[in-house]
Amino acid sequence: MRRARRPGRTLAWQALICVSLLSIWQWGYDLHGRLPWLVPDLLDPYFVSKPSEIFEHFLILSCLKSKLGVFNGWFNGEFGRCMARSENNLWIATAVTLKNTFFGFLTGVSSGFAAGLVLGRSDRLSAIFQPFITAVNSIPRIALAPIIVLAFGIGDTSKVVTSWIVVVFLVFFNTFEGARSIDEGFVNAARLLGASEWQITRTVVIPSTMAWVFASLTPAISFALIGVIVGEFIGAERGIGRLIIESEARAEASGMMVAVIVLMLVGVALSAVIWRLQAYLLRWQQHNFVE
Amino acid sequence: MHEARSVASPEMQRIDVSGLCKTFQLAGTAIEAVRDVSFSVRRGEFVALLGPSGSGKSTVLNMIATLVKPTSGRILIDGTPVVPGHATPNVGYVFQRDTLFPWRTVAENIGYGLQLMGVPAAERKERISACLKQAGLQDFGNAYPSALSGGMRQRAALMRTLVVEPQVLLMDEPFGALDTHTKIEMHDVLLRIWEREQQTVLFVTHDLGEALTLADRIILFSARPGQIKESFAVDFARPRNAVKIRETPRYAELFQFIWHSLGEEFMKSRSR
Repeated sequence: MRRARRPGRTLAWQALICVSLLSIWQWGYDLHGRLPWLVPDLLDPYFVSKPSEIFEHFLILSCLKSKLGVFNGWFNGEFGRCMARSENNLWIATAVTLKNTFFGFLTGVSSGFAAGLVLGRSDRLSAIFQPFITAVNSIPRIALAPIIVLAFGIGDTSKVVTSWIVVVFLVFFNTFEGARSIDEGFVNAARLLGASEWQITRTVVIPSTMAWVFASLTPAISFALIGVIVGEFIGAERGIGRLIIESEARAEASGMMVAVIVLMLVGVALSAVIWRLQAYLLRWQQHNFVE
Repeated sequence: MHEARSVASPEMQRIDVSGLCKTFQLAGTAIEAVRDVSFSVRRGEFVALLGPSGSGKSTVLNMIATLVKPTSGRILIDGTPVVPGHATPNVGYVFQRDTLFPWRTVAENIGYGLQLMGVPAAERKERISACLKQAGLQDFGNAYPSALSGGMRQRAALMRTLVVEPQVLLMDEPFGALDTHTKIEMHDVLLRIWEREQQTVLFVTHDLGEALTLADRIILFSARPGQIKESFAVDFARPRNAVKIRETPRYAELFQFIWHSLGEEFMKSRSR
């Protein structure tokens, strides 16, 4: 028998690991100067910055501090002026990236789901489209990002399209497999109780495909974010990807790290939303409860 | 009494099957599963299709249920030919393994057919709770099927079929996966329901005891290709008690009599 989990102890270990890693990041390189045989030459702050600098840079990028390192006042209007002046401050960049990720995810999931359902339930259609899907799926979708930016411009549309194209296939294949592997017993039971084709789709096919669809949603949200960031790398006026490119141009590792950490937090938050939704919608699968 | 009932006018035939054949294509070879099966079931009669596994009795039932398309032959229910792939109104089907939807609670499963028919929520709720009670599942309406035992699941599945009050009931070894004790319990449940509602039942089984307990008539299938070998009237008085009936001398007598014929088919199907 497994021992009962002690959440307090787990949390303590996690905190310890976190603090150790941050400490090594912060002071490790100084130690390398003195004890080169102990600490490898991996943590050069020129490339990876260090937590204190990253935090400082975060305060500046988010308009909480001025470039001179003085806190911006809220009431004297300095914060407001900074927000108005900076085209791509952290708040705007995060909002833009989130918005585009959301739309890329939404369009990708809905179109991938619909296509997967239709093709999964029709042997004929899936036979016709199978080679095309395999061919298009073999393209590394990110390679299309420059073409998409060229075609749709450096505005938001190109980011949504890039995001869509990486999400849609993922969701499509999962939905397709799910729709293929439906227990025909359920379909027959529904049919013999008088269900029409549409009612079968709604009450049997969609619910039993749900577990498959959800399995693709957590990766899909990361993919959606990747699509947007790559789109922003190639050409954008605003967004976190743009922020990274700007920092890179100025060789500011701390600026890039701020953007990366914000992306991480965004990713975690979005995944948490999906997990919550999954736990609710798939509550009948008791063993799959995520808590 | 039984003889008198068998002289019936043609309108009385609820299920009428004639010249039914089915040949499956399996990896390029044609397998003749059912050969020229004809029989009819009267309104309110309980008929068991008995035979060894692979004798085509389930295939016959599934053709009547529109799940399998016959190679040839005619199936009439209340004088109307059935259409493969389209459910026949007023015909209920109970599967061999329970096909309760795992994503719906027990109550939602039972209410499924009513929902399809567009029965208003209030009436639905009432009929569901009546069914739950009848199946002894009052406390499990909000449970998901995965939380139920095999017998409870099969009772719920039975109720999902019965809630829409079908007049014809097709059952494909519905209790085949249950242990002996639970099975006899289910026989009693089914007997009580049937005695009250008097549906026309066609019940597929390979269990002679089960057929004797439940049916008015047993149609015995031969080993593949499935054909009707013999037909036996089961003349126990109603209402029956699933436990007590097995203690009567008449039960033993009929059992032995039919067992001999069934045994021949078991041997045949085994020797292949």
